[in-house]
Amino acid sequence: MMDPISSLTFSHYFFTGAVLFVLGMIGFVTRRNLIVMFLCTEMMFQGVVVTLAAAARLHLHVTGQTFIIFVLTIAAAEAALALGLVVLLYRRKRTLDAEAWSEMSG
Amino acid sequence: MDHTLALYLAAVLGAVALALIMPGSRYRLSYLGLLLGVGALGVAWIGTGRAWWGEIGGGVGLAMPAYYYVFSTVALVSAVRVITHKVPVYSALWFVMVVVASAGLLVSLSAEFMAFAMLIIYGGAILVTYMFVIMLASQSSGEQPGELAADAKREIPDASHSSASALQSQYDRVAREPLWAIVAGFALLAVLLGVGFEDVPSSTTPEMAAQSREDLATLLPDRVLMNEPEVIAAQAESSDSQGAAAARPSSLGVTNGEAVGVDLFKGHPLAIELAGVILLVSLIGAVVIAKTRVTEEEQGGVREAGEGGATVDSPREAGPTDSETLGSLSTGRVGM
Repeated sequence: MMDPISSLTFSHYFFTGAVLFVLGMIGFVTRRNLIVMFLCTEMMFQGVVVTLAAAARLHLHVTGQTFIIFVLTIAAAEAALALGLVVLLYRRKRTLDAEAWSEMSG
Repeated sequence: MDHTLALYLAAVLGAVALALIMPGSRYRLSYLGLLLGVGALGVAWIGTGRAWWGEIGGGVGLAMPAYYYVFSTVALVSAVRVITHKVPVYSALWFVMVVVASAGLLVSLSAEFMAFAMLIIYGGAILVTYMFVIMLASQSSGEQPGELAADAKREIPDASHSSASALQSQYDRVAREPLWAIVAGFALLAVLLGVGFEDVPSSTTPEMAAQSREDLATLLPDRVLMNEPEVIAAQAESSDSQGAAAARPSSLGVTNGEAVGVDLFKGHPLAIELAGVILLVSLIGAVVIAKTRVTEEEQGGVREAGEGGATVDSPREAGPTDSETLGSLSTGRVGM
């Protein structure tokens, strides 16, 4: 059980990717600042990127890295739109608090 | 100890650690939380022992495990700081650290092109945009809208209070429902890792690798694939540097960028077109959002913030229907 690990495996990188993803998810649900919420979605993308690269290395096929390019594209598009929306929402209520828009619920 | 038990124990320790570090938590024992978090990582990495599966790559040219552990620790600690720091600018800076650490992880996975693309695009473009938006949206972040009148009544503002509130707003100091979020998140993590440690051998690996070799052989016929078993074996046999250089024809090797490019344009042409369309849509959407006028009655009576629409081009004034449309966009409730 306590053998030192002499070589890297896919599970190592999958562990890191999974923890990054889950930390991003927790941060997205927990924080109230709109910008930090979108930053946590970017962190979820980072977890997925690490997992994709590790899977590409596991199968010795480069498609995993090709899909990282697409993840990057979607992340950039989503960041642009999200930040535009955040600026617009800030202009209306002069606050970055997500709870300020909670009157739409229920 | 069974490796799944070690993983669940690590998840529980990590959950407790994160609950202690969360901002505004009742317990204020963030250093104990840090210690527990490091302990959780240690239990996860050491306690699982030989259960790691999926050996990646051959012996020669494989990254030393130390690189993985260092980059991974930096990435995970920075990720925790992203979600727990009270000042948004520092969250963004810690996220840059996460990107740099994951770029290091990508380099250790022989994905150099993606590592540098990640650094340039995330750290150079997306995070800079985040910084600009934080700068634009932080003018009155220390005050709630109802407190403006109360500030006017205070004659001599307390210096420490105003400087502290200028950096941290009320909604940044306290996390909302952290315990439920942490429980749900770490339950998901425990299940993910438990599944990830079941060794399911993939049956499609030889065919996929053979197909990719064929593609590269037809498109780049003079090159040599660097992860071919013959090349790795020839590198391993030659002990001196000249022999290694002759056995590894690096000038003829397929670089990572070329391999990604071949696969991108040969295997996914439709996806490239769709990505282009998505980027165009996002560009148009961002321009429309930025041009939306926010008139005085929605603002609560402070001032008209129509900067976004006034700058760009003269055909804007020429069309009353355009401003009416945008006016209905800003007054309409369904747009957001």
